[in-house]
Amino acid sequence: MAARDIIHMNELDHTRFKSWGFSQDFCVTCGLCSSSCPATGIDGFDPRKLIRMLSLGLENEVVASRWPWICTLCAKCENVCPMEIDIADAVRRVRSLRDRDKVPGIIHKGLEAALETGNNLRLPKDDYVFILEDVAEEIAEEPGYEGFTVPIDKKGANILTTIHNKLVNTHTEDLKHWWRIFHAAKEDWTVPSENWEGTNWAYFTGDDEAMKIMTGRIVDHMHKLEVKTLMWPE
Amino acid sequence: MANKVLVIGSGVAGLSAACELAALDIDVEIVEQSDFPGGHAIQYTCKATDTCVKCGACMVEEKLDRVVNHPKIKVMTGTRVQDVSKSDDFSLKLVKKPLFIDPEKCTNCGVCFEKCPEKGAVVKGFSRNHSPFYAISEDKCLYLKDRSCTICQEACPEKAIDLNVPEEAKSTRADAVILATGFTPFNPVSKPYGYGEFRNVVTNLELERMLRTDGRVLKPSTGTEAENIAFIQCVGSRDAKLNHLWCSKVCCGSALRMAGLVKARQPGTQLTFFYMDVQTFGRDFDVFYAKVRKDVRLIRAIPGDIYPVAGDRLQVTFLDNVSSETMQEEFDLVVLSVGMTPCRGLQETAETLQVQLAETGFAEKDGQGTPASEKGVFLAGAVTGPMSIPESIASAGNTAFEVVKYLGV
Ligand SMILES: Cc1cc2nc3c(=O)[nH]c(=O)nc-3n(C[C@H](O)[C@H](O)[C@H](O)COP(=O)(O)OP(=O)(O)OC[C@H]3O[C@@H](n4cnc5c(N)ncnc54)[C@H](O)[C@@H]3O)c2cc1C
Ligand code: SF4
Ligand code: SF4
Repeated sequence: MAARDIIHMNELDHTRFKSWGFSQDFCVTCGLCSSSCPATGIDGFDPRKLIRMLSLGLENEVVASRWPWICTLCAKCENVCPMEIDIADAVRRVRSLRDRDKVPGIIHKGLEAALETGNNLRLPKDDYVFILEDVAEEIAEEPGYEGFTVPIDKKGANILTTIHNKLVNTHTEDLKHWWRIFHAAKEDWTVPSENWEGTNWAYFTGDDEAMKIMTGRIVDHMHKLEVKTLMWPE
Repeated sequence: MANKVLVIGSGVAGLSAACELAALDIDVEIVEQSDFPGGHAIQYTCKATDTCVKCGACMVEEKLDRVVNHPKIKVMTGTRVQDVSKSDDFSLKLVKKPLFIDPEKCTNCGVCFEKCPEKGAVVKGFSRNHSPFYAISEDKCLYLKDRSCTICQEACPEKAIDLNVPEEAKSTRADAVILATGFTPFNPVSKPYGYGEFRNVVTNLELERMLRTDGRVLKPSTGTEAENIAFIQCVGSRDAKLNHLWCSKVCCGSALRMAGLVKARQPGTQLTFFYMDVQTFGRDFDVFYAKVRKDVRLIRAIPGDIYPVAGDRLQVTFLDNVSSETMQEEFDLVVLSVGMTPCRGLQETAETLQVQLAETGFAEKDGQGTPASEKGVFLAGAVTGPMSIPESIASAGNTAFEVVKYLGV
């Protein structure tokens, strides 16, 4: 933690995070969160201390600290906390206080790419469509899947599904499982050709505005393609 | 007519109130639903090592001794109040569950306990003032379940056992009623500590009973002495999820006193105490705290997961404050310090007696509206909230004083 050694009592402001509805002030410092957390100890990360920092109003220290970014947001702590403190949500809120250009590299870059290009990889539309069609052709060669194609932007389909960027990058094999199931179930489905990113890294960077944009795009697809059901595996 | 007070519950509070009133020549009847008088605290062991640690266990024994030998006090075990009506005085309908063992004939030889094939069907008392010292559990007895066994009845050399005794309805009158039904220990099955699943996870109450009956700490899985014991505090107390916002007040002291006793009797034992903050209620806490801190490793964090590992041991994961890392350590016994919760069935009893309950579920002494005491119903002990034995005795003393005022004696 990049905290100073000495913090003077008169620098504490217990009211600083008062408006945050995560009950952080109810912490009884039992330590159940820290005992249960899978990330406790990484760079000294200690969820109990982090929650105490919020209660004490140590804004600069907690925002500058690496701890909120070590947390995996798995919420195991929340699950055991006897005081019902929304620890993971509080951590996410702390993340939102960082200058955006100080958000750790990979999630920051991925999100920026997604906002600008519709996916975390900056993958051009042609390349994306090429990959999908290539995978569909491989499936069509399997017995029982003759004539299989990928229905892109199909208006009026029953299910819309999004794509995790790794499925058109390093894990194309994993696309096939879903698609085979759709085929076997005779499902009427579709994928979008643009803004197809299923992950929403704005969740991890604590950026609510960006999260809204990413989610809004999926909703737009559903309206435009007149699809009622969303399958969002991410 | 002579004044008569009915006390519901024979814990240390009920017993103390009865002693105070009887000393003023007032007749007292105590109604106790379980088979043995004395409540929870009669199950506790004296925790003195080379000096008295002021745990209070002996005070209960002493009160019980006075009660059973007092001509003005009558104790009815296995009995519940079914109905109450009030005009000038109270008329109460009682139900007494069958007393299968005749106290007149029983000599406390223990043959029934030895011969019974079903675990828990014949239960033992805790005090020499429990007579008969044995009782037959209605839930466990095979005869009562399906008439398949009469071994104890045949084995009893005194012919004291009759498994066909019926339930008995009784009625009585009283000028005032004291509600002293105490508390119910928190049931920790919902907590992630494997209670009820891992045999070597026990509650503090079970450890108290073990220390009282066996004198030593044994692992339930093997019956051999435990060598490495963890105490986990605040289980079911100070917990907003359970709506239990209270500190149970007695469990820190009780666990540390038990730890001190174990160290004195089984010096090789390693003891670890996981806590939030040590609650030092009572004036006598520092009598033993300084010493116990040398004998017990104190860790200021409540553990997370417990898993069973080889050799019936339990692997506990907890935050180590010093390194700020999680540690995993094996223990052979984990003791959960379960908190005190409102007495089971209190809502019903409170309705019958028109006593108000607080938001916590404990009975409220000074609630809104007319206090029950103006109508002759009084409260004593842990029925009003967590308290220790000395506090329960003090509370019963105050209550007895109020009752005397009410009766105008
Ligand atoms: C694990 C543990 C350890 C403790 N150790 C200590 C210690 O070392 N020192 C200390 O000072 N305190 C200790 N305490 C606290 C102590 O147990 C209480 O202070 C004391 O038992 C309270 O007495 P009571 O009479 O109010 O209630 P109880 O002891 O609960 O007695 C109530 C009685 O009422 C009966 N009853 C309930 N409902 C009815 C009904 N409807 N009709 C008839 N009878 C009924 C019950 O069967 C019971 O016999 C400990 C508590 C726990 C849980
Ligand atoms: S589990 Fe909850 S109450 Fe306990 S220390 Fe963590 S945040 Fe505080
Ligand atoms: S007495 Fe100690 S163990 Fe019991 S609830 Fe209070 S703090 Fe927790």
